[in-house]
Amino acid sequence: MHYPWWYVPFLTSPMLIALIAVIHVYVSMYAVGGGLFLAVETAYAYRSTNSRYLAYLKEHTWFFILVTVVFGAITGVGIWWTIGLASPLATEALIHIFVFGWAMEYVFFVLEIVSAFIFFYFWGRLPPRTHQTIGWIYGISAWLSLVLITGITAFMLNPGTWIERQDFWVGFFNPQFLPQTIARTGGALLLASLYVYLHAAFYRADDPELRGLISTRSTRPGLLGAVLVTVGGVWWYLALPASAQAALAAASALNILMVIIFAATIVVFAMLYFGPYRNPEWITPGFALLLFTFGLAAIGAGEFVREAVRKPFIVYGVVLSSQILPEEVERFRSVGYLESGLWTRALVAERFPGALGGGGTIDEAALLALPESDRLEAGRVLFFNACNDCHSVADGYSSVAELMRGWTPEMIRSVVEHPERAQFFMPPFAGMPEEVDLLTEYLVSIARPYPPGLQIPGGG
Amino acid sequence: MDTPLIGPETLLGFPAPYWFLAFFKVFGFSLHMIPMNLWYAGLLTVLLAGRFGGENARRLRDRFLKALLILIALGINFGIVPLLFTQVAYYQVFYPATILMAWPWFSVILLVMLAYYGVYIYVVGLSRPSLSPFRRAFGWLAAGLFIFVGFLFANGFSLMTNVSGWQALWRSTSFAGAALGTGLNLADPSLVPRWLMMFGLALTTTGAYVLVDSAFFAAKEKVEYRQWARRFAFAVYTGGMLWFALAGSWYFFGTLGSEIRLTLLRSPTLILTLLTALSPGLPWLVIRFNMDREARGLALLTGFAQYGVVALNAVSRQIVQNAELAPVVDVTAQPVRLQPSPMIVFLVLFVVGLGIVYWMVLQAVKAGRRPTQEA
Repeated sequence: MHYPWWYVPFLTSPMLIALIAVIHVYVSMYAVGGGLFLAVETAYAYRSTNSRYLAYLKEHTWFFILVTVVFGAITGVGIWWTIGLASPLATEALIHIFVFGWAMEYVFFVLEIVSAFIFFYFWGRLPPRTHQTIGWIYGISAWLSLVLITGITAFMLNPGTWIERQDFWVGFFNPQFLPQTIARTGGALLLASLYVYLHAAFYRADDPELRGLISTRSTRPGLLGAVLVTVGGVWWYLALPASAQAALAAASALNILMVIIFAATIVVFAMLYFGPYRNPEWITPGFALLLFTFGLAAIGAGEFVREAVRKPFIVYGVVLSSQILPEEVERFRSVGYLESGLWTRALVAERFPGALGGGGTIDEAALLALPESDRLEAGRVLFFNACNDCHSVADGYSSVAELMRGWTPEMIRSVVEHPERAQFFMPPFAGMPEEVDLLTEYLVSIARPYPPGLQIPGGG
Repeated sequence: MDTPLIGPETLLGFPAPYWFLAFFKVFGFSLHMIPMNLWYAGLLTVLLAGRFGGENARRLRDRFLKALLILIALGINFGIVPLLFTQVAYYQVFYPATILMAWPWFSVILLVMLAYYGVYIYVVGLSRPSLSPFRRAFGWLAAGLFIFVGFLFANGFSLMTNVSGWQALWRSTSFAGAALGTGLNLADPSLVPRWLMMFGLALTTTGAYVLVDSAFFAAKEKVEYRQWARRFAFAVYTGGMLWFALAGSWYFFGTLGSEIRLTLLRSPTLILTLLTALSPGLPWLVIRFNMDREARGLALLTGFAQYGVVALNAVSRQIVQNAELAPVVDVTAQPVRLQPSPMIVFLVLFVVGLGIVYWMVLQAVKAGRRPTQEA
């Protein structure tokens, strides 16, 4: 309410976060798992004096740098860009709680980037031992950056006792920290295998022995990763707040996504084990692409579920998904929602000056006396600020016009008054009764009619 | 008159004193500026030189573009720290300003990515017998995109301090009070000179880079190339310095409010203002003396002096930013809820990280002197 609301038609602005975040995770997890893979495998290649495998690893490192170093960094910054635009209050809170966590992560980013370039560009010129050390500096730095960001994102889902103690480390080592670290480490190893396998499938290695070696060794982190994803995933579920577990059970879309996560992980495990691990000659582009697709499906679904179960919060217990603080709800209800928001107050003062009472504060009753078109406009303002975080208007993501298809004005009013009673994962509406009227009137005006052909005898 | 749309202070407080946040913001920004200057003005400069110059100019262009792949990655990563600390200390103005221009701001991500891969497509072509027009076009496209991204950044950061202009912009680019995110700070007279001033500064960094590159990393090039590069560095630096002086004067005398100008011309900031304005003279002189001979020490001095120019600029800009915001928000007086142990862990990691980076670079320098062995 202290910041202007960014209206993104059809998609809603928070969905842009999901879009960028999923793309980023696909690359950043490879940046972690791939880094560990390269460190382990380079050491193995030197130890076994396998110069052909070493040459392949150099090829792969170029592909790895091309995909991760810039694309990963830009999409990572892209998440920052987008959360600040779409969820400024939550970002403001997180940055003040965890700026030093991110600053530590930055140190590891710098180590990653310097080590990655030296690892690749000085390949063959660095002594093997130094080369391997730099590979490990990359791998460990990348994994530690995963650990640091996981502490922060896990906090968003379950801050534990931070709300009472407000201590950085209490927030960082929250109940979700370990399970998410395990699951994400698993995801990173799993994706690393799939990327290597994909790259190797298109890599024109004429030597069948080399192809077999790449194939076998690239599956090992993936198999371990699939196990870690499963263990971390189950623990993640057990460490969820009760409301998040209930949200997971209540939303059918999330049920399906959970099935996709576990089913795709099991399929990937089976395909890796019975495919390249046991039958290295199966290294074909088609098979690799299929495997890669399953891996992306599992990881993408996991990210989406992780975001979705936080509702009605953006940061659990700290910032509501309607961009206000839980402790502000009562105050907003007594003072007025439009009056409480800096930008909404400015809008009313400018657009409906007649609705300003003594002292320049908004008189909500006067808003109800406005002409119908102005009341609908005021209702729309309320909708954007209170609902558009999760719902588009007429068409698009979770559109209210569709969700309320055929609802009576009384039903709509009842939900507006107490959305949290209609659906426990919705935040309460923090407006005065007059604002409930305005929002209801606006929603009634956009709700679509009951679908034709469903007039069943005995029905409503 | 529009009321200032500045939200309340965060109840969480600053996790460190303001000076600490400002130090890392400015330090991080100065580090970010070095590689960023090279994409911003350097790419266009070397493409133009390669297009209209001779063999040496084409050699420089190819060398520059190859290095640019690494410089872009470094620049993006170095940009994280100033972004972090800006959001901690300037959240009350950063979020509204960027939301009002959300789509252009968001497009920075896509444009930088496109520009990076444009450079990459160009560089891959350098290993082939001839560079196709298609690949050339990507190089020019990347140069144009980087300059446009600079324009968007100038918009974002000038809008942060142009608080009085928010409401008019919001009024013209909103729907039922919700920002459409299509605004740009075009009505602000400081926008264009600010953008151009940065371009001039970026040209000077490009000149200094060409000199340092020819002294330290071009040992395998012909002596004629290195001689040419030193002269070219001087020409670019001179042009950049003049550009910086003109655009800077326009910015300073033509757009800054009289109060702020007086602050900058009053002791003790007067010394800083003079140093900021005159500092490009030192690297320029060093490059001039270095022009006819190979002297690594002088090239190194040029590099450090140029960092000084950029850092002074960053400090002065910080002072101007605070002075512009002073009537609506005093960022230096916000409550602090110190987080001592995370701060110490960060500082320790920072120092250890610098040590590891130093060690790795040292290994690379040693390895660079060895002949390549096949993997």
